[in-house]
Amino acid sequence: MVKVLIVEGSIPDLRESVSAAKLVGGEVVALVYGKAAEKAEEAAKYVSKLYKVATYVPDPIFAAVKKVYETEKPDIVIGHGTKNNRDVLSRLAGLNDLPMATDVIKLEPGEGEVVYERGFLSERAIAREKIPLPAIVLVNPKVFQPAEAEGQAEIVELPVEEGQVKLVEKKEKQLSGINLEEAEIIVGVGRGFKKKEDLKLAFELAELLGAQVGATRPIAADYKWLPEDAWIGISGKRVAPKLYIAIGISGAPQHMAGVSNAKIIVAINKDKSAPIFKFADYGVVADLYQFLPVLIKKLREKKKS
Amino acid sequence: MGDIVVLVKPALNPDMVRTKPDGTIDIDAIPLKLDDIDANALEAAKQLKSKLGGKVIAFLLQTWGPVAKRARDMRMVTQEALARGADEAYVISDESLTGKDQIVTAGVLANAIKKYAPNASLILVAEASIDQTTGQIAGRLAAKLGMPFISYARSLEVVDGKIRAERDVEDHIQVLEASLPAVVSVTQEINEPRPPTLLQIRRAAKKPQHKLAASDVEPIPEAKKVPLEYRILTVTRKQIIIEGDTLEEIAEKLIEALEKEGVLNL
Ligand SMILES: Cc1cc2nc3c(=O)[nH]c(=O)nc-3n(C[C@H](O)[C@H](O)[C@H](O)COP(=O)(O)OP(=O)(O)OC[C@H]3O[C@@H](n4cnc5c(N)ncnc54)[C@H](O)[C@@H]3O)c2cc1C
Ligand SMILES: Nc1ncnc2c1ncn2[C@@H]1O[C@H](COP(=O)(O)O)[C@@H](O)[C@H]1O
Repeated sequence: MVKVLIVEGSIPDLRESVSAAKLVGGEVVALVYGKAAEKAEEAAKYVSKLYKVATYVPDPIFAAVKKVYETEKPDIVIGHGTKNNRDVLSRLAGLNDLPMATDVIKLEPGEGEVVYERGFLSERAIAREKIPLPAIVLVNPKVFQPAEAEGQAEIVELPVEEGQVKLVEKKEKQLSGINLEEAEIIVGVGRGFKKKEDLKLAFELAELLGAQVGATRPIAADYKWLPEDAWIGISGKRVAPKLYIAIGISGAPQHMAGVSNAKIIVAINKDKSAPIFKFADYGVVADLYQFLPVLIKKLREKKKS
Repeated sequence: MGDIVVLVKPALNPDMVRTKPDGTIDIDAIPLKLDDIDANALEAAKQLKSKLGGKVIAFLLQTWGPVAKRARDMRMVTQEALARGADEAYVISDESLTGKDQIVTAGVLANAIKKYAPNASLILVAEASIDQTTGQIAGRLAAKLGMPFISYARSLEVVDGKIRAERDVEDHIQVLEASLPAVVSVTQEINEPRPPTLLQIRRAAKKPQHKLAASDVEPIPEAKKVPLEYRILTVTRKQIIIEGDTLEEIAEKLIEALEKEGVLNL
């Protein structure tokens, strides 16, 4: 019987991974850390044995992963491609020369192997590949249904073993708590906006449309003009609104992959050769500073009448 | 204190995907470019060089063949790495190393670094590449070299001979510190690399380039990943450009189109 070890830092991730695990394996054990370790009682409902390590820092998580891998000798290790998971599981892969599949969107069991599909070429393409067991598989969020609670497994607490890298400080990130995944309309802003204050044009438009404001990576992560939960793309959020209005966004594949499930995409960009026009339903070639005030005025008139 | 190694991937350019008549991807026809975030890593190395004292050494492994067909692309990527701040480059090109997996990439690069950059104090890798985007080379390498590892660094500084990084996690930032030598993966936010100047490009032409073959970086591990199929994700967007004599007219037409689509809540 194929044995799966799940490694996760949150309960929602754990529940999805349990479903993925059941697709390819029989026995499912898990190691949880971070938020999921704080809720170990809850986590223990989904697996047959639960290990926990109470930390958010990679070195002690890695030490625990290594220990559990050696004791449990799983055939497959499954987890989401979060930063902590990628950190510790790529080290586990390196240590044992295990094959590791990442960004998996489809998983099929095989005899002594797994077949899977994943994004390739910044998600302009899909790669179908196979790897022999033992293997590590990192899955994308929302690909697998969250599993239901089944019992109450034994919980084994592992010590937090400091490694070579020391934690000096932990800083909180400013998040807005907006839920872009649920938004029906999203106004997306990019580097076409020259300064933070100018985003008020986008907010005005969003208010008129009952929309949320999302952003490209540089706007959210680099300039910090918006909180990071506004970040859309392969390394940010994947959204599926009925309308996405991309303003001053070039249309890089890493951004567009995050909106590929939008029903209609509108692009407003002053450069007529910007790649975004190939990935949009409706395009307006114009300077956003001239066009947005006009669009806002017209929408307002429309709304009044 | 030591040299800085930067891993530079000659990556398939996702903006120039080419397909065969049957819809599968024609990998051999996609040109290579210097991987996006590797440019950030080179910039970070340039900035840290004065603190660490040594040289900046780029390592490039050609993972996409055919070697002969891509000779020009490889030359251009190597030149660009040198123009962006590397002092010298080791280029590993060998048909037998193309089309493999991350086990081979990490194994070969670890062997090459041990042999050709024994004084490395810092090894910089990008968080992820633009073609494979697996983000697993840095961690594999750290494990193979037995060095401390910091992933997703958003800023880096040398403090009392140690490397200190702000590490980006989804909902918080960790400030971590490691003794050297260490392996660090950097994010795109770490700096804003500028395209090389003409002078930098000209100087790059005189910097040392070392060509290596598989026999120079043995033992070569065995690949385990088997590719079955690469297919294009087809985009089916309408691509209608809304035109008009005035912005007013364009705005009206846009609103009308979106109402017809039933996607406005006015
Ligand atoms: C591994 C990896 C992961 C990444 N993940 C993500 C991700 O998750 N999300 C993401 O967004 N990016 C991601 N990126 C970055 C991505 O490649 C692009 O760099 C980024 O999306 C570009 O953002 P942008 O469109 O805002 O800026 P730019 O590319 O600079 O585009 C700005 C656009 O604004 C237009 N413009 C300028 N002025 C005006 C004006 N006055 N009016 C109208 N238009 C104007 C310009 O013509 C241009 O097209 C990732 C990159 C890598 C390598
Ligand atoms: N063939 C290669 N040559 C040099 N560096 C590489 C190679 N492959 C991967 N890397 C490094 O590892 C990073 C992450 O790659 P990946 O694991 O493919 O996402 C790249 O951005 C490079 O810094």
